[in-house]
Amino acid sequence: MVVAEIKPFNEIKDMVRGYKRLMVLGCGACVSVCFTGGKKQVELLASSLRISNKKDGIDVEISEGILARQCDPRFVEQIKDSVDKYDAILSMGCGAGVQKISEILNIPVLPAMNTMFIGAADNDGNFMEMCRACGDCLLSLTAGICPLTKCPKGLLNGPCGGNKDGMCEVSPDLPCAWVRIYEKLKAMGKLDQLKIIFDPKDWSKTQRPGKFCNKEK
Amino acid sequence: MSISAMPPCQAACPIHTDVRGYVSAIARGDVETAIKIIRQVNPFPSVCGRICTRACESACRRGQVDEPIAIASLKRFAADQTRGMKPPYRTGPYYIEKIAIVGSGPSGLTAAHDLALLGYNVTVFEAHDELGGMMSRGVPEYRLPKKVVMDDIDYILSLGIETKTNMALGRDFTIDELLKDYNAVFLALGSERSVFPKCKGIELPGVITAVEFLKQVGKGERPYIGRDVVVIGGGHTAIDAARTCVRLGAKNVTVIYRRTLKEMPAGKTEVEEAEAEGIRFKYLSAPVEFIGKGRVEKIRCVQMQYVADGSMRRRLVPVENSDFELKADMAIIAIGYKPKADEIKEIEVISGKKGAIVVKDDSGATNIKGVFAGGDVVSGPMSVIDAIASGKRVADAIHRYLRNLPPKEVVEPLVLRPLEERIVSLIVKEMRQKMPTLPIEERINSFKEVNLGFSWEQAVTEAQRCLSCGSGAIVSDECIACFNCVAVCPYGVPTAGEEKAKIDLSQCQACGICAAECPASAIDVKIETKEESKRKLEKAIKKAKEIKQVDFKIAFYCEYEEAFKSSEKTSTEKGVGKPCLARVDVSQLIKPFEEGSAEIEINKCEYSRECRFKGCEEWVKKHVEAARKILKDIGIDENKLKIVTE
Repeated sequence: MVVAEIKPFNEIKDMVRGYKRLMVLGCGACVSVCFTGGKKQVELLASSLRISNKKDGIDVEISEGILARQCDPRFVEQIKDSVDKYDAILSMGCGAGVQKISEILNIPVLPAMNTMFIGAADNDGNFMEMCRACGDCLLSLTAGICPLTKCPKGLLNGPCGGNKDGMCEVSPDLPCAWVRIYEKLKAMGKLDQLKIIFDPKDWSKTQRPGKFCNKEK
Repeated sequence: MSISAMPPCQAACPIHTDVRGYVSAIARGDVETAIKIIRQVNPFPSVCGRICTRACESACRRGQVDEPIAIASLKRFAADQTRGMKPPYRTGPYYIEKIAIVGSGPSGLTAAHDLALLGYNVTVFEAHDELGGMMSRGVPEYRLPKKVVMDDIDYILSLGIETKTNMALGRDFTIDELLKDYNAVFLALGSERSVFPKCKGIELPGVITAVEFLKQVGKGERPYIGRDVVVIGGGHTAIDAARTCVRLGAKNVTVIYRRTLKEMPAGKTEVEEAEAEGIRFKYLSAPVEFIGKGRVEKIRCVQMQYVADGSMRRRLVPVENSDFELKADMAIIAIGYKPKADEIKEIEVISGKKGAIVVKDDSGATNIKGVFAGGDVVSGPMSVIDAIASGKRVADAIHRYLRNLPPKEVVEPLVLRPLEERIVSLIVKEMRQKMPTLPIEERINSFKEVNLGFSWEQAVTEAQRCLSCGSGAIVSDECIACFNCVAVCPYGVPTAGEEKAKIDLSQCQACGICAAECPASAIDVKIETKEESKRKLEKAIKKAKEIKQVDFKIAFYCEYEEAFKSSEKTSTEKGVGKPCLARVDVSQLIKPFEEGSAEIEINKCEYSRECRFKGCEEWVKKHVEAARKILKDIGIDENKLKIVTE
């Protein structure tokens, strides 16, 4: 899941300055699940902008909307006919959503969010980065823990000398990815996997922009 | 569980009264809405509030936690508080057809009420000089004051119903005659013929039926009863007669009943009330002979016992040589009634065994076209609410008959399942309010009503015990399966479904926390929907702006707490009332600032009791903190939003 957070209010305010008819558009996918860009947040951001404009004596018409997935053209096209009612769309989707809308609709699309990472949640509402989308997954050899993402150095052959009592030197709250990998492999009786020395990563697989076509398969 | 599932109280009620609806209105201090909800289906709220058999209370799920809600007492409260309220203006009649109703008991008058509201011309014929049937003749004043019966009847008659008293079918008119002037006839003759035990000496003076006795007393007569009275029977009428005797000065009143307290149709509460007044009960006893010279002096009785007869059922048989005698200056027979339609020559054709009228089906249609029957004359003696239900069914059937409409489809309601044990254990216990009663000394020396009715505070407290079953959370298709509801529910009701969150409506306690916390706004709570909540806030803002265009103030308060403060209707001027403040979400807290509000106050509720909505205080604080942060980001003084103590 893509994790994104809302930009500071003042940054958003500066961004939308000058537009007289604004649509705050949420996304019903990843950002709804991480409580930053769903229907409720759209309501709050729209309300905040109205209050702020009222305070500054600025007259702006602010509408609210939500698409099930901003990154899907078939959803974006559903609002095609109504865009001429607005001067700009303030997207609460991730970067993919913002760009997709911008590509399809002839209207300025402004990002209300900072897209952060591919992550997953624990049961307390914390979202952690889980995957760097390296294009060459080796989780089968690392007990399901990605050293590339979970180790601040991204070490393929760890741990480094910076771990202390199983924690990373970067932060005492951060467990050392390689210590966790070791412990999990030990529990699984697969410690011999640690003998594998990984060659340097083939970064050509993440040559940007990434492309994938499901028709070719 | 389907979202249309009925609370068990409503399903158990023969007329499916929206119990939850009116109880929750009382919980918010809104008795007018409460009585309107009751009156939608029941034209006898004052009567049922006092003598209903209360199937709803036996079904009430609060009973799983501690004790059921005192539903009937709350109905009485709503009726008493709104006494004198006029029915809504009626422009009818809309139809030219005329309907004759024979009998003015609960079923006859209910049908009259429903048919008048549908727009028909209705005439009610009553054999006696007073309307009300058994309600005004068969229930003593101390339990159901005649004035109360008349209040309900007056309301019904104010719909424009014609009444003809002292007009008896078979004596003063015939069905054929009625059919000449009326398009449909409803026979609601009741069931007033007393059943007598097969005993020697039954003809002795001093042996009287309870119906006759109560009728005489009801009319203000004071028959001689002597010192020792024996009442035979175990129903409501038996207890009524016994308690009436106490009030007339009898010194020893004994009720004999052939079975045990467990089988007694009169409830345990009634027996306890009677015992408190000095009445003695002899169970497993039956009369054999009434003895006396020229007048009853004593009753010979026999002990009864249950014996197994090989099948699942037990048989009740006399115990050999167990005879005993009871002194009796008067013996009152109250072992049951049966209809007496067979006494009216003309109806013989449609009357079956035991004098009841035979009907084709629930519609009450008889084999005479246009003639319907219902209430006790069809079913034999039942409760008031059953008679009302029958009256309603027949009124509907007559309307369909006259308008040529298809018969009503009867759909069995889907009922909410019982609460699961884990939920029961999380619900705050709070015992039922006790109905205040007249002191014993005053009771036994007068016919004043024994039960005095709830005070305002008692009624509101009792109504707030209601679990509002089935008015909880509904998950819409907008659910994005983030399962935040699973994390925040204080009762652990929501679960992660395959595609979206699942909230079992039969277990949900309607606290609304999941709805306030759902990032997709995909949860609605029936106790106050998002739409209702939005409208309320808009109304309050409009009102506040009328007083002060800019820099107005909006206050949120807890309706449940406010309900205690006064019996006056809470006005919108006070602000926005919420069914628990935890339901005010962040967007509602900042919304008024869009309109130029200067200040928002949350009137912190200072409940002396623990709120039924678990952890509400913590959620209120969280919502306020989140909203204050937003205000601060916008550059508005966050102290304009605060929690205040009145």
